[in-house]
This record gives sequence, structure tokens and C-alpha cells, in this order.
Amino acid sequence: MTNRWSLLFVLAVLSPVVGIFFGAADLPASELYRCVVGQCSTEVNALIFWEIRLPRVLVGFLVGAGLAVAGATLQNITRNGLADPYLFGVVSGAGLGASIATLLFDSQIGETLTIFGMLPDVPFSIALPVAAFLGAIFAVTLVQALAATSFGGRGEHMLLAGVAVSFMLSALSHFLLFLGDPFAANKVIFWLMGSLARTEMWYAWIMLPVVMGSVVLLLLFGRRLDALLLGDENAKTLGINVTALRLMALGICAALTACIVAYCGGIGFVGLLIPHIVRRWVGVTSRALILGCVLIGGSFMVLVDIVARSALSDQEIPIGIITSAIGSVFFLLAIRQRQA
Amino acid sequence: MPNSANLQAKQLSYQIAHKSILSDINLSLERGKVLGVLGPNGAGKTSLLKMLSGQTASKEQVDWRGKSLEEYSPLERARQIAVVNQLNESVFALSLQQIVRMGWLPHKTLLSRETEQDHQHLAASIAKVGLSEKTHQTFSSLSGGEQQRGLIARALVQKAALIVLDEPVNHLDIYYQHQVLKLLRSLAHQQQMTVVMSLHDINLASSYCDHLCLLNDGKMIAQGPVESVLKATTLEHVFKIPCRIRRDEVTQNLRVDFYPSNEQEYPPQPEVTQQSNVHSSEASNKVHKKVSSKKGNSI
Repeated sequence: MTNRWSLLFVLAVLSPVVGIFFGAADLPASELYRCVVGQCSTEVNALIFWEIRLPRVLVGFLVGAGLAVAGATLQNITRNGLADPYLFGVVSGAGLGASIATLLFDSQIGETLTIFGMLPDVPFSIALPVAAFLGAIFAVTLVQALAATSFGGRGEHMLLAGVAVSFMLSALSHFLLFLGDPFAANKVIFWLMGSLARTEMWYAWIMLPVVMGSVVLLLLFGRRLDALLLGDENAKTLGINVTALRLMALGICAALTACIVAYCGGIGFVGLLIPHIVRRWVGVTSRALILGCVLIGGSFMVLVDIVARSALSDQEIPIGIITSAIGSVFFLLAIRQRQA
Repeated sequence: MPNSANLQAKQLSYQIAHKSILSDINLSLERGKVLGVLGPNGAGKTSLLKMLSGQTASKEQVDWRGKSLEEYSPLERARQIAVVNQLNESVFALSLQQIVRMGWLPHKTLLSRETEQDHQHLAASIAKVGLSEKTHQTFSSLSGGEQQRGLIARALVQKAALIVLDEPVNHLDIYYQHQVLKLLRSLAHQQQMTVVMSLHDINLASSYCDHLCLLNDGKMIAQGPVESVLKATTLEHVFKIPCRIRRDEVTQNLRVDFYPSNEQEYPPQPEVTQQSNVHSSEASNKVHKKVSSKKGNSI
């Protein structure tokens, strides 16, 4: 087991290095080293290193780690291997927020958002993630409220409430896009595909405390989260307040996913795929699973981003397309393996 | 009721949607004793166990060690009372050790670490139930009896003084039925743990329990030492099947033989094997007239 953890740590260190190394512009290893110590040979290289590649690799790692941790936690608290952050309405809520922001965006005025003159002009690049974040939080609050009041916080009911809310909000945002400007609709659809292309360093500064805080909290509650694997009745007999614990874990996963989706759009399947891989490597208990998800999820996203950047010579592929493609193939393989 | 009782239920009643599940149940059990809860399906056995272990909303009618269960926080209660329920098939493959170590949960805060002593106690508990060699095996790959013993090991790790088990020998073959019940009896008699369990097999209950309580339609029909509860009249009334009670020649435990239908032959009550406090019923005497005395058929 120690060897496996060592391998995971090596992977988590190496993948960002590889991520920084790869790209359209050629940055040799010696130049990378000079940039790290603050002595880039040209200003362009400094710009590529500090403003483009480093933020992208950092944000990519945080996005992968965060989505994988949220997926693993949701799968454990619902005892359902198919649970995924997106099943809880986070993406459809974020999509609705983004749709509303895009429709309110007034192209006559320029790159600013005016809400019927009530608020000062807000740059669209900020309005979109903020609206998406609010939409995601709204969706999860709705799911939590439904789960807590109507279904008594049971895992499987929480999942069903999430699916229902997800469809409802998707229908609403599709209706808004149908009524609105086709150009705005294109923007939202592209955003929903998920991408790290617009990444800036400050994204990382926002995501870092959210991801780290969530991971620390989930690790602290790890032993109690494990008890949920035994079923609600059994967990209660061990002194666990099952409903409160599950709602707290869902709240953490919601904040984590909403923050990621708001900045990077809908990157699907990572939360579903990575926890299954990690379980095979380090086991099913929450603490090991969460740490494994940070290491493998982060590395996976950085490596997939390299493919997204370099697969086509003249443009980037939205990363959500690649993760979904890999995820679906993996899923079919996993089902086949289980049947064998 | 004696004051030395560890577990006491006072006029226990329980309703679900205006339907009475349990009514006016009184019982008490001393430390180091095994109580078997008997009764037909729907008699209220599981509800009684849930109430005795504090799993239902109303806890004020049950006292554990002189204090109402209501006064215990969920964590304090879990340190005192271990519940062994059937585990649902888990989607994720936990090992035996991972399940047993969950017994630590009531004793650990969010920041507490696992000590060397904890690990020794964990290994000793698994050894006590005879599963040391299977410590790292996936729980779902263990046999029914091993799983049940694994859950008992978790109760030992939980350091609980009362173990409550709902039909612990369900689905087990005869060998494991005896293994599990022998283990529970030794925990009670040697380590002074108190054991409460529901059972369907009256003969197993007679062999391994110190006290029995017999429920029917949510009411307590009889309770006390085995010999005072196992009476043919009472059992026939509760289970609606004629029966005969005898003493096993080898073990000296009471045995109940049921004779389920009128077509079955039903031997007369053999006087030699009956104790003075074991009665046959009028109902069985009526059946005697119909059947021959050559063959018996028990279930």
C-alpha cells in the first residue's frame, strides 16, 4: 500500500510539471527552471509561464481534485456508485444562472452587464461565473431542502430529488435560451462544455481555499462518513446523526462543485470516473478515498488538459468533451468487467 | 422489579400511524444475562428491540443502568449499547477489519488518533470471534455465520455493555447457529455483557437464553426464566399450533415439538420427560383423541 501511495504522489508532482512543459510555444526544461526561479530569458516566456501555463495547470489540478473528491463523497454518502456532483443539479443550476446572465447581458452597451440600470455595470467575465455560482447554490439548496423536508434526508431520495431538480432547471434554462438571442445561447452551450482556456491566476486563489477547506473538513469527518456505508440504521446505532452528516457533506460537495463549475463550466464524468479508479488503488474508506481523489483527480485533469490543448493544431477542444468521452468508455468497460 | 436490573422497560408502548405495535410491556434484565425475545411474525419483537436499544423516538420508558435512555446522548448510548442488525449488501467492498473498526466511532472525536491499544483491542476482538485469519477479507465474501460473528466483534470493539441482536441466526446453517449463540452466551456469562436477541427457534432460545419473553400482538404473554415461559398452553395460544414440551435427555434443556395440522399424527404427552412446571393444554388433549401415539412430527 505504501508503494501505491508513493506512486500517486509521484504522479501528482510529475503531471503538473509535464502540463507546464507542453504547449504551442516551445519552453525547454532549462527555460522552465529559469522561470521558476524568476529569471525567464524573455518577457514572452515569462508571460507564457506565469500568466498562461502555471495558472492553467494549478486550476486544472484543483478542478480535477475538487470534482473527484465531491464525486467520491457523494457516492459514499448515498451508497450509490453512480452518484456524481452533476446529478445533484449543480450543473443545471449553474447553467440556469449562466443563461440568465447571458440574456441580461446587454451587447449594445458593450462587455458589461446592466440589470435594468439597478446595479453598476459588471464586466461579463465576472457576471457569468457569479451567476453560475448562484444558480448552482440555488439548485443544491433546493435539493437539500427537498431531501431534508420531504424525504427525511435518505441517500437514495436525495439522489432522486437531485435528478428531478436537475431536469427542472435544465428545462427552465433551455426555455430561456429558446426565447433569447441565438448568439447568447451559443455562449452558454460553449460554457457548459467546460474549458480551462479562459483560466487566470486569480481563479486558483479563489478555488484553492474552497478545495483545501472542503478536503480538510471531509478528512476530519472521514471516519463518520464511513459509517454511512453500513446503512443509515447501522450508522445511527454507532451514535451518528445521519441526516445532519449527510446534509453537511452534500453542502460541502455543492460549494466545491459550484465554485468549479462557475469558473470552468460543466466538466462531466470526472466525479464519477476517478473515485472508481481510486477505490481499486487505495480502498473504499473515506479518508483514503478523498486523499487518493485529490492526487489522481488532479493529475488526471492536468493530463487531459494537455490533450485538449494539443490534439488539434489550430484550436482547443473543450475539456468537458474529452472527459465525457473517456468517462463513457470507462463506464462501459467497468460494467463489462463487473458482469464477467 | 429488582433494583439490580441493568435494563428495565416500564409500561413500554409504541404506535405507528395509530396502530398499536407494543402495549404495556414491562421487563427487567440483570447484568450478564441473555434474554431471548420470542413470538410469531408481527408480534412486535423487532420494535421491542429497537425500543430497548434507543432506536425509536420515545426512549423515556427504557432505563439502562438506572438512567433513562432519553438522558443519554446518541454517542453515549452507542458507547453502552451495540446493535447488531443485518448489514445490507454494500456497494463498496469493505473488509472485515474496516467494518469491525467502526466500533471505535462512539469513542473517537474528529481529531482523535488510533492508538496502539486500539489496534490491539481490535485484533483481540476479531480473534475472540475466531476470525483472525479473515481480518483483511472482504466482508461480503464471508459466510453468513462469519459475517454475524464479525458484527459481534464490532460490538466488542464498541466496548458496549449491552448487545441487542435482531434474529442473529437467521439464514445460518445449524453449525453457525450454535457457534453464534454459544459465543453470545459466553460473552454474557464470562464478560458480564447483557445480551438481548430475538429468535424464531424456540429450542435454540431454550438452550442458550437465561430468560425469555414471549410476545403476541404487541403484548407480553409471558416472561421469566426459560422453564416458566415454555408452557404448552401458552405456546399453543401464541403460535396456534398444538405442541408438546419435553426435556432433552442429553442436554437437559426443554424442547418444544409442534404438531402443525390435524392430519399429522400427534403423540400423547410423555409424562416421564415433563417437569412439574411444564403443562400440556386442553387443546392438545383434544388432538390426542384423533391421532395415534406411534409417530411424532416436529417442525
